[in-house]
Amino acid sequence: MSDYAVESTNVGKRFMRSSERRNSIKERIVRGQGKRAEEFWAVKDVSLKIPRGSVYGLIGHNGSGKSTLLKMIGGIYRPTEGTIASQGRIASLIELGAGFHPEMTGRENIGLNGSILGLPRKEIAEVTDEIIDFSGLREFIDDPVKHYSSGMYVRLGFAVAVHMKPDVLLVDEVLAVGDEEFQRKCFDHLYSLRKAGKTIIVVSHGLGQLEALCDEVAWLERGSLQEIGEPTDVVASYLKRVNAEESARNPLAEAKREEQDHEGGLQSALRLKSVQLTSTEGNVLNHAETGTTFTFKIGVTLYDTVLGPNIRVALQHESGPLVTMISNHRLGFDFSYVPAGEHTVEIDLLDNPLLPGRYRVHVDVFDHTGAKLLDSWNEAAEFPVRSGSGEIGQGFVQLPAEYRMN
Amino acid sequence: MLKELKKQHALIWAFANRDFATRYRSSVLGWAWSLVQPLATLAIFAAVFSIVFRVQAPVMGNGKTSYAAFLFTGMVTWNLFSGLINLSITQLKSNGELLKKVQFPAYTPVLGASIVQLIQVALEIVVLLGMFLILGNIGVTWLMAIPILIGTAFFAQGIGLMLSIMNARFGDVMYIVSVLLGALYFLTPVLYPMSLVETHSSALAWVVKLNPMSWYVQAMHDSMYTLTAVSFLEVAALLVGGLLVFWAGFVIFNRYSEDIGEML
Repeated sequence: MSDYAVESTNVGKRFMRSSERRNSIKERIVRGQGKRAEEFWAVKDVSLKIPRGSVYGLIGHNGSGKSTLLKMIGGIYRPTEGTIASQGRIASLIELGAGFHPEMTGRENIGLNGSILGLPRKEIAEVTDEIIDFSGLREFIDDPVKHYSSGMYVRLGFAVAVHMKPDVLLVDEVLAVGDEEFQRKCFDHLYSLRKAGKTIIVVSHGLGQLEALCDEVAWLERGSLQEIGEPTDVVASYLKRVNAEESARNPLAEAKREEQDHEGGLQSALRLKSVQLTSTEGNVLNHAETGTTFTFKIGVTLYDTVLGPNIRVALQHESGPLVTMISNHRLGFDFSYVPAGEHTVEIDLLDNPLLPGRYRVHVDVFDHTGAKLLDSWNEAAEFPVRSGSGEIGQGFVQLPAEYRMN
Repeated sequence: MLKELKKQHALIWAFANRDFATRYRSSVLGWAWSLVQPLATLAIFAAVFSIVFRVQAPVMGNGKTSYAAFLFTGMVTWNLFSGLINLSITQLKSNGELLKKVQFPAYTPVLGASIVQLIQVALEIVVLLGMFLILGNIGVTWLMAIPILIGTAFFAQGIGLMLSIMNARFGDVMYIVSVLLGALYFLTPVLYPMSLVETHSSALAWVVKLNPMSWYVQAMHDSMYTLTAVSFLEVAALLVGGLLVFWAGFVIFNRYSEDIGEML
């Protein structure tokens, strides 16, 4: 026996663009075969070796071919080219409760679903009780499933699928079912399946979840394999690409202040003009990354010489709370006399401690005494912080800390 | 084929159980409904064709005539045929969600549904037998009806399998088939005896005779109604013919159902 539960060799799957498919005879007759339908390769030249007893993750954008690949492994799609060899019974959590009939009771549906998933009748009878216990639906098991809530539905579906004694379990984005307690139960069960030497293949967008669960991760992009390896490495390079693409797509236009904002306002020597996020290399960013230094560039116009201005940047989380206020006076940066003219204030936020989320920027400038407000710009900018590792974290900030064990 | 069917019998039965359990679950009268429809049709047709059109039924085995019994013999056979086809044709679509997500042989829900349909046919046959018992038209030739009906069922299922996979690809197949079945019904000697067509138009008689369903229906008329022996050769031909069509349907179905997950 091979050490691999699933082995794909140069697998590709071609679809005809659905708008081109002749789905009715009339269309065939009226339009004939026409020009050849447009081809679309959902998966192209993918070779994977998935070791027996491992948890294997697939990541990638929507439409990158992960689910198509999973369906080919599950035998629902036939590869257009290449081969997939798999060993043992494959059960799929691609769609929980897909085989449930609404008029039938939970118990009857367990039997039917078990048959569809290929378990002999005798074995179904053996696991039925276990399934009922796992789903926590004993009270309702003899009611038609049409009376179940959607949560109960997926719980029963999950319970059935994981009890079919699969050698390979395919999981597609279904780890987010049920309440916290049930989710924990699901994870515990997945871990115990892994311990029992079963292979689990997971497709998910929950990158942190995958990092914690998987032994190996493959990254697909537009149907082709980008990288295979350690979860942390692959997730990091995937995120790097995603973040880079986002920056390229819509760089944060410099937040410029309208002239009207000043009118009738302060007869001040200083005006805030613009706010920008840039990388340390000076590229304009549309988001910051947790743990990576970035720079606020604040454009100011001085109409007169200003002595030691105190420039305060307040960061407010989208949910309301003020996260922090950065002030050059408090940090010990003194600009002494700043001559009249256009200036740019650069503030480096070292190893950005902000956790993923959206943050609003408020900028105030006081004179050296701290008593006189020179200019104030509320909601000067808003920017998202993205994860660089897949970890989302708790709260707003990740404070630099070191641990020691004595 | 047999090996394959044997391997999947549990799943076919599971689908049959599902369809059996759910068929009339939300109706009060349940299975009684399955007899109301054919009996109502029988009553209406019997009235219209024997009173209005004055169609003469042939003489029964006991020397009497009964248009209703003649009509019902043909109807039972026809309903077996059309019932299996109509049900099979929609099965892949109605199990589409499942077929798109889980891998299992696509013919299993089709055959499962057909098994339940056979229960309906059995109920109709019981009514037919009751009718003949009351009329006192009983004979050993009845035994011939068993292989004839089995042949009809396989014949219908073979066609049903082919049409069902075609319908998965081209959704209009089911509409075309319902029109064709409607026409074929009148080209089968169900409402009228063969002799009536022969006296009116020999060309039309030829068309009716070329229709395979006429062979099955006529053989049923012979064995159940007129109680005349059907030749062993004819019965064997009807049975083997039905099995061959089923085999062809099964092979074609499996050849084209490999990509069922994408087709639906």
